[in-house]
Amino acid sequence: MVRFFVLFVTLLALLFALELTPWVQAYFVVPWTNALAAISTSIVTVFDANVIASGKVIRSVTNGFAVSIEAGCNGVEATIVLLAAIFAFPAPWRHKLIGIAIGIVAVQALNVVRVISLFYIGQWDHAVFEWAHQYVWQALIMLDVLIVWLIWVRRIPRADDLPPPAAPPELAAG
Amino acid sequence: LGNPLLRFVLVTLAWLPVAFAVWYVLAPVILFPVQLIVRGVLAGAFADLVRTLEAHGATLSFVTTLRPGEARAGGVLTVDVNMLLYAFGLPLFAALTLAARQARMWRALLIGYLAMLPFIAWGVLADFLKNIAITAPPLVASQAGFGPRQRDIIAFAYQFGSLILPAVVPAVAWVLTHRAFLEGLRARRVVSSS
Repeated sequence: MVRFFVLFVTLLALLFALELTPWVQAYFVVPWTNALAAISTSIVTVFDANVIASGKVIRSVTNGFAVSIEAGCNGVEATIVLLAAIFAFPAPWRHKLIGIAIGIVAVQALNVVRVISLFYIGQWDHAVFEWAHQYVWQALIMLDVLIVWLIWVRRIPRADDLPPPAAPPELAAG
Repeated sequence: LGNPLLRFVLVTLAWLPVAFAVWYVLAPVILFPVQLIVRGVLAGAFADLVRTLEAHGATLSFVTTLRPGEARAGGVLTVDVNMLLYAFGLPLFAALTLAARQARMWRALLIGYLAMLPFIAWGVLADFLKNIAITAPPLVASQAGFGPRQRDIIAFAYQFGSLILPAVVPAVAWVLTHRAFLEGLRARRVVSSS
């Protein structure tokens, strides 16, 4: 557990520092945030055609209300936490890669729900929007990361789950 | 609800609104130790920058020694920081702990609470420093006396303290105080799948 904890904190700090570099911001974070706005808008337009995306901003053309997806709301930090937790935990690499692939989808899917819900909550009540934005959704996204990690940890084969190694030929023959 | 993990998640979600309500109502009391930590750090490291620290509910007002500008020579600059922004992990940790219902639950709650306090103070202090060193007008920022490297460190401390720590610390604290529960979840899966 100590090894996991130290490795987790180290990876977390390194990945977060990497995220803050201008290169990663320009070539990954900004395009990802814009894509998140576009994906959220494309889902919303299924039932509300009066919504457009412009860069990282989602806007209602009906009443002019808009939300801008900023750092902390684009799911990048939540993904970094999940990556660090999965990489730090002792498991076969195949399981780590599967966990990361499925985990990223799970975290980002809930993040799309967060963005869309905040867009409509903001049009309904500003105080509720602030509460949902600053406290509730932050906790829910972290809970999502923790649940994904717990599911992944449960599915890692334990050493005592594996079949016993085959006996050496000479012993098997005897 | 035969799946223990699913049951745990649903119970956590049921506890979350209760925990948030208690946290919000009792925030001035729950976060009083954060105020004490912040006061201690200010007295030790930033006594020349902050004249007094006032608490208004869950908001800390840093009354600085900095002047807002030449035109208002008699004024003082005050920075307000909402402690709740860095403390939403407390209700999350409480909900997770109450849902796990392992032995010595109240002890785990107390340990998690105490473990999170310094990190909440980190966020509050970094928010204050970011305000006076980075986002303040140049006239104010120059009075604060931070160099370029120190401003970089403050920027990183603020980003880490606002985007990562408030969410990660409760999860880590919960994992570290619930190792037996986690082992139980894994063991039950092995039993149920065999």
